[in-house]
Amino acid sequence: MSGNFSLALLSTLLYSVNIPGYGTSAAYKSPIFLGMIYGIYFGDVKQGIIVGATIQLMYLGLVATGNNIPADSALAGIIAIPIAMSSGLEPSAAVALGVPFGILGTFFNQIKRTFNIPLTHYADRKAAEGNIKEIRRVAFIYPATLLFLVEVIPVFILSYLGPTASTFLVEKLPAWVTGGLAVAGGVLPAIGFALMIVQLGRREILPYYFIGFFLVKYLDLGTMAVAIFGVCLALIVFFGGSSKNQDNNNGNNGDNTGEDEYSADYE
Amino acid sequence: MNETDRILTKKDINRAQTRWFMSLEYPNSFERLQAVSFCSAMSGPLKKLYKDDHDGLVDGLNRHLEFYNTEGTIGGLPLGLIISLEEQMKIDQNVEPEVITNLKVGLMGPIAGIGDTLIQGTLKSIWFALACSLGMQGNYVAVLLPFLHPITVFTVSRYLANLGYKLGMGAIDQVINSGLMTRIIDAAAILGLFMMGALSSSYVKLSTVLSFSIGEQKIVLQDILDQLVPGILPLACIFGIVWYFKNKKQNYLLLVFTIIALGMLGSAIGVF
Repeated sequence: MSGNFSLALLSTLLYSVNIPGYGTSAAYKSPIFLGMIYGIYFGDVKQGIIVGATIQLMYLGLVATGNNIPADSALAGIIAIPIAMSSGLEPSAAVALGVPFGILGTFFNQIKRTFNIPLTHYADRKAAEGNIKEIRRVAFIYPATLLFLVEVIPVFILSYLGPTASTFLVEKLPAWVTGGLAVAGGVLPAIGFALMIVQLGRREILPYYFIGFFLVKYLDLGTMAVAIFGVCLALIVFFGGSSKNQDNNNGNNGDNTGEDEYSADYE
Repeated sequence: MNETDRILTKKDINRAQTRWFMSLEYPNSFERLQAVSFCSAMSGPLKKLYKDDHDGLVDGLNRHLEFYNTEGTIGGLPLGLIISLEEQMKIDQNVEPEVITNLKVGLMGPIAGIGDTLIQGTLKSIWFALACSLGMQGNYVAVLLPFLHPITVFTVSRYLANLGYKLGMGAIDQVINSGLMTRIIDAAAILGLFMMGALSSSYVKLSTVLSFSIGEQKIVLQDILDQLVPGILPLACIFGIVWYFKNKKQNYLLLVFTIIALGMLGSAIGVF
């Protein structure tokens, strides 16, 4: 089975190159941004963005689930976007094809955090010498390089064989499988939204979710219209609450993530 | 400590905050999580405070290599505060090292709770949701929106680091426990939920192709559902998953494959 070398190289670089900054990887490795890059590669930027956005949607609520990152949208993106772009598969079906890779990607995070244990001990030794320069290197350049070395080969193999294998499979698949993938692709974004509800949806503010849901269903409002109404609602609540004494809430909003939230790990 | 005694400048705080922001995603380990990032952020101020005291510097570095884990954006606040305490300890000698360690441990939980809801849960999701929604229409602006996330994070955390340094220990409780903070979180959660409601309405899709005949009349099930409650099937999916996450083990893998299997099954027997 022949892969596409230049495509695999591009995918590997997009995935494995590390840029410092908290939240930057969420942006430059977001399927929507990756979609634009693949759009340029395949000569259809607009379609690339559409496919990327469709895949992004499924990972919307996965941003803040704390201790374990349940899926890696970037690895799903570098596999699923090229598939959708080259095979003409519906973006919603490509979403489902990206899923196993998204799960595979979480192992890199586990490996990274295991490999970082000896690095932390190295930082201890350097701290005893008062060697600030080395501690600063352990803060970015060493773990980033290590992570790159760990990722680069498996990611290259995956992105070399993944799209070709998947495209080959897609062509052989019976209609009920591709149809089923498209159905699943329509439902999978529900996970992200459900996670948001679990996190934010205390009973007393849950009605705001339904207001949003049915405003769009009945009135067909666009995103910007919804955003404007949403900000207005939030402001009403913000100023409306000022007359009441809410100090007993102690700033802890009692969300449903349970005790985990204190030990959660934010990346 | 008088303002004139201060050794550190705004520049030192900003540099420490930049190191914190730059480092956070990478040296994270299972053993001590953000310890190295925090130590690296503190290294600048410590170096300046203990420039002719090697043992003091080593103690300081060790102090900040202990387990630490919080949300990085709101985490700017404790960073600024801890820097101000380190400075006070050096100048006035009236702060015990244990106070600093205990304060870090005490603050990281509440700060994580606030940052989780406000920044990671709401603000980030809103940027990305807007990006998805524009992107699916093929709008090029969508590509820029994800980058608003790290930009917001950096700006807010820089502001908070300076605030934490300025306020010092007494005022920090007020900020965290004030009614204002609760109201900001509530308003943000409402905005987030409202937006998620609207977006899930557009983007979670499920409909049935089932139909049956009563005499001459053909009845399409989806038409009836649409007349009763539009979007009832997607809504049922979303709250089915919410129920699953709240009541069962949070097995993401199992959930995803169940959805795919059910999709194929339904497609094969002609339900969807």
